[in-house]
Amino acid sequence: MNESVRLPDDAMLSVRGITKAFGSNCVLKGVDMDIAKGSVVALIGGNGAGKSTLVKIVMGIYQPDEGEVFLEGKAAKLGKPAASLAAGIYLVPQEPMLFPNMTVEENVLMGFMEKSSDLHKRLVTLLGHLGWKLDLNRKAATLSIAEQQLVELLRGLMRDARLLILDEPTSSLTFNEVESLFAIVEDLKAKGISIIYITHRLTEVFQIADRVLIMRDGVITLNGPVCDFTREMLVAGLLPPNADNHGAQTVCKTVSHEGREPALVIDHLTGYGFRDVSLKVYPGEILGLAGVVGAGRTELATTVFGRDTVKSGKVYVEGKDVTGLSTRGMLDAGLNYVAEDRFLNGIFRISDVAANTTAANLNHMSKFFINFKEERRVTDQFIQAFRTKVTGRDQLIGSLSGGNQQKVVIARSLSTHPKVLILDEPTRGIDAAARGDVYAIIEQLKEQGLAILLISSDMEEIVELSDRAVTMYCGHINKEFAKCDICQDHLMSAAFGVTEGSAKNA
Amino acid sequence: MNKLKKQFLRWETFLVLVILLEFLVFGSLNPKFLNMKRLFSGLNQFIPVCIISLFVTFVMITGGIDIQAGSIVGLTSITVGVLWHDANLNIFVACILALIGGALCGALSGFFVAYTGVQPMVVTLGGSFLYSGLALAVSNMSSNAAYQGISDFPEAFRALSKTQLFDAVPMQFVIFFVLVIVSYVLLHRTNYGRKIFLCGVNPNAAEFSGINTRAVVMSTYMLSGLSAAMAGILLTAYLGTAKADMGSEYTLPIITAVVLGGTSNLGGSGGVIGSALAALAVGFLRIGLSLNGMSTQYLDIPVGILLVVTVSFRFAGTNPKLRKLFSRKKRQTVVTRAS
Amino acid sequence: MLKKLLHSREVTALAFVVFMFLGVGAINPAFLTPANIWLCLNSSVVYTVVAVGIALVIITGEIDVSVGATLGMTAAVSGTMIRNGEPWILAIGAALLIGLLIGSINGFGVTVLKIPSIIMTLGINGIVRGLIYVFTNGKWVENIPFDFKNLSQGRLFSSITFFYLGAILLIVAVHLILTRTKRGRYLAAVGDNIGGATLLGIPVDTTKFSAFALCGVLAAVGGVLFVSRVGFVTPIAGNGYEMKVIAACVLGGISLSGGVGTVIGAGLGAAIMASISRILVFVGFSSDYDDTITGILLIIIVVSDALLRRRAVEQARRQRLAAKTQLLAADGKEATAGE
Repeated sequence: MNESVRLPDDAMLSVRGITKAFGSNCVLKGVDMDIAKGSVVALIGGNGAGKSTLVKIVMGIYQPDEGEVFLEGKAAKLGKPAASLAAGIYLVPQEPMLFPNMTVEENVLMGFMEKSSDLHKRLVTLLGHLGWKLDLNRKAATLSIAEQQLVELLRGLMRDARLLILDEPTSSLTFNEVESLFAIVEDLKAKGISIIYITHRLTEVFQIADRVLIMRDGVITLNGPVCDFTREMLVAGLLPPNADNHGAQTVCKTVSHEGREPALVIDHLTGYGFRDVSLKVYPGEILGLAGVVGAGRTELATTVFGRDTVKSGKVYVEGKDVTGLSTRGMLDAGLNYVAEDRFLNGIFRISDVAANTTAANLNHMSKFFINFKEERRVTDQFIQAFRTKVTGRDQLIGSLSGGNQQKVVIARSLSTHPKVLILDEPTRGIDAAARGDVYAIIEQLKEQGLAILLISSDMEEIVELSDRAVTMYCGHINKEFAKCDICQDHLMSAAFGVTEGSAKNA
Repeated sequence: MNKLKKQFLRWETFLVLVILLEFLVFGSLNPKFLNMKRLFSGLNQFIPVCIISLFVTFVMITGGIDIQAGSIVGLTSITVGVLWHDANLNIFVACILALIGGALCGALSGFFVAYTGVQPMVVTLGGSFLYSGLALAVSNMSSNAAYQGISDFPEAFRALSKTQLFDAVPMQFVIFFVLVIVSYVLLHRTNYGRKIFLCGVNPNAAEFSGINTRAVVMSTYMLSGLSAAMAGILLTAYLGTAKADMGSEYTLPIITAVVLGGTSNLGGSGGVIGSALAALAVGFLRIGLSLNGMSTQYLDIPVGILLVVTVSFRFAGTNPKLRKLFSRKKRQTVVTRAS
Repeated sequence: MLKKLLHSREVTALAFVVFMFLGVGAINPAFLTPANIWLCLNSSVVYTVVAVGIALVIITGEIDVSVGATLGMTAAVSGTMIRNGEPWILAIGAALLIGLLIGSINGFGVTVLKIPSIIMTLGINGIVRGLIYVFTNGKWVENIPFDFKNLSQGRLFSSITFFYLGAILLIVAVHLILTRTKRGRYLAAVGDNIGGATLLGIPVDTTKFSAFALCGVLAAVGGVLFVSRVGFVTPIAGNGYEMKVIAACVLGGISLSGGVGTVIGAGLGAAIMASISRILVFVGFSSDYDDTITGILLIIIVVSDALLRRRAVEQARRQRLAAKTQLLAADGKEATAGE
């Protein structure tokens, strides 16, 4: 179909109508975007909005189901990474993909066809021009993350990239390194290179970007020059329409916990990825833990669950000190955790539903031989209670929809009869109907007296389910919310580090 | 478990068909093949491979591999011999010590795999050197010269393999049959076996479920070593001689049997019934071919071909380019997590 | 530059060889004569050549356990042709062609049929082993013309044989190709980070295929050298070579996970492997302990390597996470500064 498309004159890159679905999950629903030459465009979006998928399509890693990509006004076919590289596009991934056992120089020059000596000269000249202090002979594995990102940038620059995509470039950088990076970005801009800058950090958007694009649920919801926006407006763009009023209550009802002991106490806990976190969760309540990806919530949860080292602080379950226990010890003490990444850490993909349900509880069902009868009973019980759509107990969990998989994983976490349950992104990647079911399950658990710590990047979800909420930002708890304060607006702002009294748009 | 069983039965049914086919082909080419006594006697030397395959299955289900089993066979054999001949221990005590030794050998490699994260292939490679070397060292402790081996074992010991149930089925086969049942129950009917599968399918999720994956993985190597020791004892009883280099050529047939039996080398799926059937299929193949004139040394060729052909059909399905070639349907994109 | 050299795995391996020789020399000074040292090195020529070949495969992250069979086959074929009076060039050419063929079949199975390399090469190993028997009819290949055998004795300055000199030149040449040419670097890239390599547009499948093909060719070279050095070929020639050269590579600092190590290390490892036997004799142990020592060495090396790697990965992860928590302080400063 050859429609003539009107594209802006100075567009380096344009996309029209990009649609992409993975299986039944539609990630991009018709994205239009223009990147002007020599401009820095910030691309913001919540988790699952589709940013990574979009840039991977531009980089030739994925192919769109529908839609077209245009480079300098001409349609481009980017069927594989080599094509995008040849077209002058380079993606600096969030996690640098270097060759750990090769030197910096080898990493940068890998894949080039020209003479080695010529390339070396070019590289040295480039480095001198940039003024970076990078030892070309160091092995990539010894570089800090900041340095690794510089190597990735060098790869793009050596290829005379006209469009650089930086995916969350500052997520692992220190303050000084971030400043250096900004200087580089300004420099590149001056050279006429276009940059797509993906980030969660609103401060950076105002410091470095010319335009800002906000993605939500697979479409671009906001698009314009940075100077037109304030932080609050950006946050609003991240929320669904009518979100501000949703959830906020006029009467502030504080639930009294007098006389009751908290089921979970996290006391000044410091670990890898978070610092000095203190939380209390009471039986029969849901504490929402909001934040952006990388804020440290999952690290907190896995450390509490005993899977990572505790640097300092304590964890108590029902008054008992469980700091640093093994996972089995935690399960026996009454704490369970539903992992964030279902595929990686949650499901036994090629095992059946029954095996998945009972995996955590085998030794309690019987001493030595598998108690198949009990297994069947427990599995059926949960299938019924959760209305899980399965053809039978023996269906492989890999063939279930995401929502039903999640129900099975939750069932497993309940089979150990926990008193405290930590749910990490329980509705990520599942359809609306299943989501409703999961919410109902969570509410039920609350009524039964479970203490629930709900980690989610979906602000709607936090608003709907939580009795109290806290937000985490860069590894710290930065705001607490009573029930009446919980609304998407407040949560989103705090998650992005915009707390009371912070700078408005300069 | 039923759906899984249904899937299993499909592959195992295929193996049963293969065995029936072998009987058909070889039986018609040479009716002597169908003589039960002859069949059993031909199978006798292959039983050790069958036994070890059962438990190497355990190891491969966790995603590992064990190429040291052959060396443990020799080590066990010569240890029994030396303990009995030169240390004058009761033969059955010697066997028990040898079994413990085999388990320990497996435990060493298993420990390194589970607790230090080395690749199973390399560490069992080192183990294969180490244990064959130790076997040689043990044989030097004997007054008999190494090439002679130790013989003249007591009748009670030789009875281990000489006795015949119902005057037809050799003891070795009975032991194999019993082990098939034991390993089946262990792997498919106990909590322990379930944990082995879970560790193989998703070690992370297993850890989150409170399973001690490291202990489970290490134990599979112990079982594998134990089975190699059992095989070594049976072989020694059958041949009547203890030799240090017994079992040195077992690695290929063992891995062939396990892979042919349906166990994926990535872990998480497989079963002992498949391995047992595959081992028998390979065994019958060898007997049938040799009965029809193929000399023993050529027998690895059809086994190797069988392995490559079967596995290529299984894995060729995962190559997207090949699938495109053979199917008209639009290529399925791999389901990945969108960010 | 010096620091880099000091930290390289090859230097560690070299230091190991030197200390080993010195240590043995201290116990038995007769070991440290130039004649003896050259004897050790010269005798390692076949190991060296085959190790270089398999190093190529291992560096890409794969494995090849059929090199011993390839060596045996090419030795048998070239040996027979030379014995029958065929021009040597033809015999060598035939051997190289066979090596290329076997290597290519392995490469095809791994890259196109997506069969895991351990299984593919294990199967091919069995098939080729059997084919050797078919070719030789189970007989030895003897009566190799003296002139051909004498080639292995030719020395430069009465010390280093031309063969070993050639091997050293081979190592240097391959090393230069792997480290200085574009396509040569692809091998390590593919083994180091296959995802990263694909993203950069590197042809992963072609690279792996070439590695297997070259490995086969070099195993064939080893086969020809074997005929000249040993003087006769039995049907089990080369048995177990694959394990020995894999061990040599590991000893020389090559990691089985790919991307790490050089062929220089492979050469050093081969020298170590070949010397262990002789060393044991000089130190007063029976050469029977050869395998034991090899096994222990191997295990120690891979376990320490795995532990070190684990520690490095964990440290990197912690660094990453620590950096994430730091920015709050900075942002806080930022926010107030902007007011």
